[in-house]
Amino acid sequence: MAIIQKASRAWLQKYFDAPLPDARTLADALTFHVAEIEEPASPDSDLVEVNVLPDRAQYLLCHRGVASEVAGALRVPLARDPLAEPLPEWPATDQVRVTLGDGANRFIGALVTCVTVGPSPEWLRAALESVGQRSINNVVDATNFVMLDIGQPLHAFDAGKLAARDGGYAIEVRGSRAPEAITVLGGTTYELPEGTLLVTDANADGLPIGIAGIKGGEAAQVTDGTTTLLVEAANFDGARVRATAQRLKLFTDASSRFQNRPSPELVAYGMRDVLALILDIAGGELVGVTDVYPQRTAPAPVSVPLARLNAVLGTELGIVEASAALDRLSLPYAVTGDGASLTVVPPFWRTDLQVAEDLVEEIGRAVGYDRIAGAQLPPPGTAPSLDRFYGIERVRDFMLGRGYAEVSTPSFAPEGAIGLENPLQQDRPYLRASLAPNLADALARAALAAPRVLGPDRFAKVFEIGNAFTADGETLMLAAGVAALNGKPSEAAAALREDLDALEGELLGMPSMAQCTGDRTVAELCLEGVNLEKLGAGYAPEPRALGPYRPYSPYPSALRDVAVWTPAGTEESEVANAIVGAAGDLLARLDLFDRFEKGEGDDARISYAFRLVFESMERTLSDADLDPAMECVTAALNALPGWEVR
Amino acid sequence: MPPGRIHPLSSAARDMAAIFARMGFGVAYGPELEDEFHNFDALRVPADHPARDMQDTFWTKEDPRRVPRTHTTSVSVRCMEAMAREGRTECRVIAPAKVFRNEATDATHEAQFYQLDGVAVGPVGTVTLAHLKGTFEYFYRAYLGPSAKVRFRPSFFPFVEPGVEVDVWYEAPGKEPRWLEVAGAGMLHPEVIANCGLDPETVAGFAFGGGIERLVMIKHGVPDIRGFHAGDIRFVYGFDPAAA
Repeated sequence: MAIIQKASRAWLQKYFDAPLPDARTLADALTFHVAEIEEPASPDSDLVEVNVLPDRAQYLLCHRGVASEVAGALRVPLARDPLAEPLPEWPATDQVRVTLGDGANRFIGALVTCVTVGPSPEWLRAALESVGQRSINNVVDATNFVMLDIGQPLHAFDAGKLAARDGGYAIEVRGSRAPEAITVLGGTTYELPEGTLLVTDANADGLPIGIAGIKGGEAAQVTDGTTTLLVEAANFDGARVRATAQRLKLFTDASSRFQNRPSPELVAYGMRDVLALILDIAGGELVGVTDVYPQRTAPAPVSVPLARLNAVLGTELGIVEASAALDRLSLPYAVTGDGASLTVVPPFWRTDLQVAEDLVEEIGRAVGYDRIAGAQLPPPGTAPSLDRFYGIERVRDFMLGRGYAEVSTPSFAPEGAIGLENPLQQDRPYLRASLAPNLADALARAALAAPRVLGPDRFAKVFEIGNAFTADGETLMLAAGVAALNGKPSEAAAALREDLDALEGELLGMPSMAQCTGDRTVAELCLEGVNLEKLGAGYAPEPRALGPYRPYSPYPSALRDVAVWTPAGTEESEVANAIVGAAGDLLARLDLFDRFEKGEGDDARISYAFRLVFESMERTLSDADLDPAMECVTAALNALPGWEVR
Repeated sequence: MPPGRIHPLSSAARDMAAIFARMGFGVAYGPELEDEFHNFDALRVPADHPARDMQDTFWTKEDPRRVPRTHTTSVSVRCMEAMAREGRTECRVIAPAKVFRNEATDATHEAQFYQLDGVAVGPVGTVTLAHLKGTFEYFYRAYLGPSAKVRFRPSFFPFVEPGVEVDVWYEAPGKEPRWLEVAGAGMLHPEVIANCGLDPETVAGFAFGGGIERLVMIKHGVPDIRGFHAGDIRFVYGFDPAAA
């Protein structure tokens, strides 16, 4: 599932000197350049909703990331890039001690005193609200703003609520020890599975003050009375954050970013921007910063030979075009191997660029996939094999030839051998071990629908070919059923037996194996024993093209019969036309079910008996609908000379 | 005896198999109930990665757990493994078959549906993104009509790089022609090729997948996906063979 990154056009505009185009132009440009954009409500919409997929989520879940892609898509340079601007030298402090356990890649803690917590300035409130976020107070808003701006999740603790020892604070990031619990911002308490990564107050016996990378705790919440802040900018293991968010069903802006593994380098840029913003809008003084970064990471260079680029894309791009594409994406590169390769040193935030094919995609999308002309595959070395497919189609054709309608039914069942951990329907928690129950159900409904769908046939016949799941494995099954529409079930059973004997004897050449159920009107046959490849070799499935679909009424149809004496020589079509002309719009189907002649010479007459099927797409029909319609039919038939409704 | 009636998905699968057969594709099979390796891990969808969230997945209560496959790309993996075992350097197959997604049903979503997944593998340079486009152009023109056009948009599927979303330009009779999103596709990621036991330095390929119901709905004007697997002959007989 994509993460929808809500970006504000006004916010993005801060990254450009030239005015951005309208929302629709912007959406189109981004859609063909990098990621699908939700259709904007209007050309003036401020909101740009980017469907960010996991491959680009390390850099694209923020305005800076989206702006960088806007720059590439529109071929306009970024006026400023916060990730290219230098980092300040912060004073170190022994008033913040940080200890990191497994799963914490980097943690910067900053101590800020004398802040004034209060409402945010109007521009900040407006910026947050433009992307659907709520303003809380200036400090919390500053952390959220910077996250939405450059992608680094941040958190501010009220240091006054942490335990001070020797005038300093001690943060430890560690796995939880069962049983531990935490009440997070907003007041919900979570029991923590053992090993949940926590930010804790080491001076207070390891009191949890935050679920690492997910949400801060209530214990050190910033409130109006807060004057001292411990600001956190950190990077946590994506897999652990993801596992915890899933276990606790607690998904936050921070967790969705961390689970996509942004670079730990970003942490310092987040701290730089949030400190500047807090000091600007909440006042205060930076005491100092502690940065614990056990293992610095830097992206490795990635090379792609031009030959490989063209072999993947099916293009004939030269070094100039390929280089221009990288320029457009602001990816630094060198031409290597005497002009035969391009080597990119990815900027730290592009952790997604790891192998040559990643560069192929970057160059391909920047050049534009519309530039790739379709080519036909060369003829294959060996002819394709469709024998098994044809074998199954041959069985299908056989059943169709015997008058069966093919259905498809759910693979989930109330009973079975293999249960589902997470069924969608609680009353169908198993994979089906047999096709027969669903087929029996489909058959019963087919019998009800038969007058409308099939007309006056003797039988309704249905079949399904599909897989069943037993303790022994997965097997391809055929289930078939016959319903007698105006006869006894034994007649249906006999018809089914005859068809299956023909299938097994004539087509499959195997002994009778089909298992009948209930009153023997449904049977099931395992096709695993059939050599389907052999059966299909050389077989050409019958053409069975279908035309446009006409929806059926969800309401039941209603039946009426009419029989009429007509003069000798009257054709069936004359009677049918007379009925259709009088019965009205609700008549859905008309079938002749009886015809006989009586008398001789001037007395000779023909009796026609028709079944009328009425149906409405809007409602269930009643006698109040049908009686007037039948009166019209009767009157119309009786009005014809020599005709008489019986 | 009155004739029976084929299910629209079976009819569509016949058409699709015939069209792809002309381009050298066979039809391949694999289990509907897959192991985690063939459905996910071989395709670069590790358990601890957000890419797992791209498909809502059913799991069995087994140890080790299995997955009602979320795509028939698992069949492509099995075909590539067979290539490696048999020492072949070429493979073209489609798998038009049932897949499962654990998502709420509505007019366009079903927990079970059919997918047309396929893969073409050959020596490096013989199967390219341009061939993928050409294959789609041929297929959609044959299946939907000669005015069909194909375009690619950048996208992501863990098992391909580059990955694209495929739109087709369709001029439905009596309707405003438009671009419709019909499939996901791309060039097989070298790690996937290696996971199948093949050498990504010597062979390359493309993979694609899209819902079959959706294509049938587009082509035949079916308003609601829920009829396909409801076991209702009224749905099956709603398609008029005479008007084909």
